[in-house]
Amino acid sequence: METTARSPRAGLTRGGRRAFVGRTTTSPADAATWSRRQTIATELRAVRGRAYPRVRAALREKSWVLFEIMLPFLSTSAFVFVYRALQAPPEYVGFVVLGGAMAAFWLNVIWMMAAQLYWEKDQGNLELYFAAPMDLMSVLFGMALGGLFMSSTRAIVVLAIATVLYGVTFSVDQWLLLGAVFVLTLGALYGLGMILASLFLAWGREAWHLTQALMEPVYFVSGLNFPVARLGLLGAVAVAVVPLAVGLDAMRQLAFSGSAAPAGVVAAPIEALILAGMTVVFIWLARWSLRSLEQRARRDGRLTVRWR
Amino acid sequence: MTAPGLARSTTPVVAGGGPMAVVRSFLAAARIGWAVDANWTDPVLFLVYLVAKPVSAALILVVMVQVVSGGRAGALTSFVVVGSALWSTVTAGISGLSWSVLDDRERYRMLKYLYVSPSDFLLLLMGRGVGRIAVGGLGAVVTLVVGVVALGVEFDPGRVDWPLLLVALPMGLVAIVALALILAAVCLQTRQDAWSYPEAAAGALFLVTGAVFPLAVLPSPLQAIGLLTPLTWWVAGMRAAMFPDSPSSLGGDGSLFARLAGHAVPGSIEIVVALLATGAVSTLAALAVFRLSERRAKDRGLFDQTTGS
Repeated sequence: METTARSPRAGLTRGGRRAFVGRTTTSPADAATWSRRQTIATELRAVRGRAYPRVRAALREKSWVLFEIMLPFLSTSAFVFVYRALQAPPEYVGFVVLGGAMAAFWLNVIWMMAAQLYWEKDQGNLELYFAAPMDLMSVLFGMALGGLFMSSTRAIVVLAIATVLYGVTFSVDQWLLLGAVFVLTLGALYGLGMILASLFLAWGREAWHLTQALMEPVYFVSGLNFPVARLGLLGAVAVAVVPLAVGLDAMRQLAFSGSAAPAGVVAAPIEALILAGMTVVFIWLARWSLRSLEQRARRDGRLTVRWR
Repeated sequence: MTAPGLARSTTPVVAGGGPMAVVRSFLAAARIGWAVDANWTDPVLFLVYLVAKPVSAALILVVMVQVVSGGRAGALTSFVVVGSALWSTVTAGISGLSWSVLDDRERYRMLKYLYVSPSDFLLLLMGRGVGRIAVGGLGAVVTLVVGVVALGVEFDPGRVDWPLLLVALPMGLVAIVALALILAAVCLQTRQDAWSYPEAAAGALFLVTGAVFPLAVLPSPLQAIGLLTPLTWWVAGMRAAMFPDSPSSLGGDGSLFARLAGHAVPGSIEIVVALLATGAVSTLAALAVFRLSERRAKDRGLFDQTTGS
């Protein structure tokens, strides 16, 4: 007997075409079989759906402009004045400004990526994610895109105002490489955020402390306000494993070429390759860890237990 | 008509109780705060967290100083280590109350029940936040010990100005709680993602309090804001009490303080009086802001509003 699986939206059309959710099938098994096109469309909807509340929340509630843009700008300014009090060469002020801009992305990764699945669990949304016919990677990708809206705004404002106010002069010879390094840094940072999201979820309430512990210590080993090469071996290790460290080191070399400040740990093109490798490895690891987590969640039924 | 038992007590303290009930209520909240924050966790991880954050914050500044001075900045290294250590108490302290609001509203969904409980809401929040101040204080002590042992900060217990220390310390803690209260009032009105707001506020105050560089390098309007902030006087008082040889964060040639006061460096009495005055104003303002926020939250049903983004 032929069965027809019809969703509430079956038969609706959008722009004259039948929507993907409504189609005639011969059996429940057939209904469960999705074409590649349906799968991609669903995943894209998941990405858009998860990014949407972040962008809307930012637009609806304006307090973030003060607390996430203006006040962090003042915080960055404090480090500018430390260098001014020391009568440091002007490029060091530029280092601080660049570090302040990139810190926005790291904070976003830690607070709104790494800890997010754990908070979703506490709020009771996680089981819905597991039950929904989509890949958790799409949810994380949507979070990243939504978060990028806020953190990019903050980074641009910090960079623009501080550059004008403190007279930072950039000297860029390789714009293309600088752009590539920036994009790769974001890719590696958010890839790491996706891994941390599943790890934080598995570690439960430790996640809260880990979020805290990943701020100043990472700023320090990444050389947020100074050339990471000054940390010697520790700096070299950081460049090998922390995307913020290698990204900042490469961007400083490229944005202040010819500076008298200490050279980078390795040349910028090599650091771009390190970032590309990190991006691929981190995203693959994130996918693997999320799959493992999902299997565990379905098998044990413990991951959706709240407040643990 | 409001059902009996659901009506909110209009008394500012625990209904039907005397001072002992207030103390019991505060201690219970403090115990819950500590349990939520710490006592369930792996002690080693908790210790790492406790130490890593403030020590790293100090090391960032130490390396900045060393990079520029080439290792010849003894007094300045001490200056930034001490300021950074004290600031870890501020950061932790002002986060406590805000995070209690967000935790109880967004995660545990208990804020509305706490609000209608017989205990005073403000007292409960204070209790919840006290654990974080203790954690911040411990972080400050650890950072100072690391500074003295490993970073060359000179500390002579025999030269500590104990009267100034014993007066300035509690007054500073009151000022920190007042700022925390203002941020808690803000977080009552905002969405879930306000977790980072206290840190952002602390970062902004970092600029005007002379914690890690002398205020004299700032433009005069910013120096004026700094002089009106109790934390500026607290940091100056603590530094003057524990490290008498340290340069002053407030005075110096060309500083606004020197121009206003007619002498370069504030004395102990001046610091205490200024801390008392600015602290009292901040505390009164914080109480007013908190009560306004509480009333607005009650009117608009924000106590059980959960968000998420």
